Amino acid sequence: MYLLYSFRLAIQSLWREKWINLLSVLTIAAGLFMSTLTFFVVYNIDLATKKLPASFSVMLYLNDGLSEQEIGNIIAQLKKNNAVEQARYITKDKALQELKGVLKNADYILEGLGENPLSASIEIKLQTESVNIASVKKIAEEIKKIKGIAEVEYGEKFLNSLHSIKGAAKAGSLSLISIISAGVIFVCYSTIKIAFYRRKEEIETFKLLGATRGFIRAPFVIEGSVLGIFGGLASTAAAFAFYYVLFYKVTAAIPILKILVFPFEIFPALPVAGLLLGIGGAVIALGRIRFS
Amino acid sequence: MIHFSNVTKFYEKQAALKSVTFSIEKGEMVFITGPSGAGKSTLLKIIYLSEKPDEGNVTIAEWDLSKLKESSIPFLRRNIGVVFQDFRLLDNRNIFDNVAIALRIRGLLDREIQDWVMEILKIVNLRHKADSFPRTLSGGEQQRVVIARAIVGEPTILLADEPTGNLDPDTAAGITRLFKEINARGTTVVIATHNRELYKNSGRRVFRIDNGNIVGEEIG
Repeated sequence: MYLLYSFRLAIQSLWREKWINLLSVLTIAAGLFMSTLTFFVVYNIDLATKKLPASFSVMLYLNDGLSEQEIGNIIAQLKKNNAVEQARYITKDKALQELKGVLKNADYILEGLGENPLSASIEIKLQTESVNIASVKKIAEEIKKIKGIAEVEYGEKFLNSLHSIKGAAKAGSLSLISIISAGVIFVCYSTIKIAFYRRKEEIETFKLLGATRGFIRAPFVIEGSVLGIFGGLASTAAAFAFYYVLFYKVTAAIPILKILVFPFEIFPALPVAGLLLGIGGAVIALGRIRFS
Repeated sequence: MIHFSNVTKFYEKQAALKSVTFSIEKGEMVFITGPSGAGKSTLLKIIYLSEKPDEGNVTIAEWDLSKLKESSIPFLRRNIGVVFQDFRLLDNRNIFDNVAIALRIRGLLDREIQDWVMEILKIVNLRHKADSFPRTLSGGEQQRVVIARAIVGEPTILLADEPTGNLDPDTAAGITRLFKEINARGTTVVIATHNRELYKNSGRRVFRIDNGNIVGEEIG
């Protein structure tokens, strides 16, 4: 087995060019740390939008003067729709009470109104999978056709902007992580290419003595792996420092940031990502080894 | 063992070998001689697959080189020991490592390598220099290191390109003796040289090459 010898060659080469390699490791670490921050932002946006369906509701304002039987019929029709999870009837009086509750000490605003101006309504909660622009729009249009419903309101603009933010964040982060990954691969590629050229004569001799492609490639792939793993470990350390500062220091000063969640699965993923990108860079740098 | 049939090789439209045909039998020791630039090195390079012929066929130990897959080249090369004209020693490794590399490539274990390399260094009388580095050795000693590296893998063919090029007559005679001993063990030896002293009275076949053509064959 020549693997042990390949390790020895790789370690010798890494040590010989230790400053260049240290610079490569730090560059890889910086790239992976930036990816971590990007992932952290997107992860929290995603979590926030996932929590949304629980608080999302569609309000149906009813015509005045509907009998209890008519209201019962409307609720029965709504419940037939598979997307509707829950329907709650709110009388005119209850709506006024709830408004007073919201206004608290400013409820004197309502004193001069005389008759209750609010409409009776039905608040419906949708199934989680139905809380998206297309479904909500379709459901709202179907509901509007039910006799006795005056108006349907579901915060179309809010849902649209939320969807846009989520989409843009995902697309942006994917592009950014792809660019950073390409950068990390390029750093490994350049480092290994330099090492390869520096040992070109030696490699030519190895080939003439009967070395296989595996024997020639192995030390360089090991070098790329080591650079990637160390870059990954350094970025893990940086990510941990970020987590510690944000969740133990910054949140003490700005408590609202406690709503943020840190994706801990990133810690083991970073060295693995570094390893894979390091191997990728090395393999690209070596290209096809020819014997004649 | 080695068969060339109408082999032609061009460099930049200039023919280095012109329709060369010859055969070397297993266990033979032959010399290829001729002036500088006659095509001796090109002929050896084709044998150890550093160059491909542009025309003709070459067969080495029943391997037809025209049908050989590129991935098989390393395995054929392991059967061919080469004493390079420019030595190709690794300056940053000691003599032991320079010889051992030929065995490491073959995947041998460290303890097997240790014993065998020391044995080979004893044959070339360099055991005491195992820890030295190439640059600290004389030309003759470096030549013997290259021979040790070429034979440590027990190849069936040994090629030597101008093995006594820069050596004094006594050292050259020592190197020649070494080749004869290696040949006596059954290895086919092909030596490219313009040094007449090397093959004179050797009783071996000598191919005379000039301007890319084999112009004569004689017994030295």
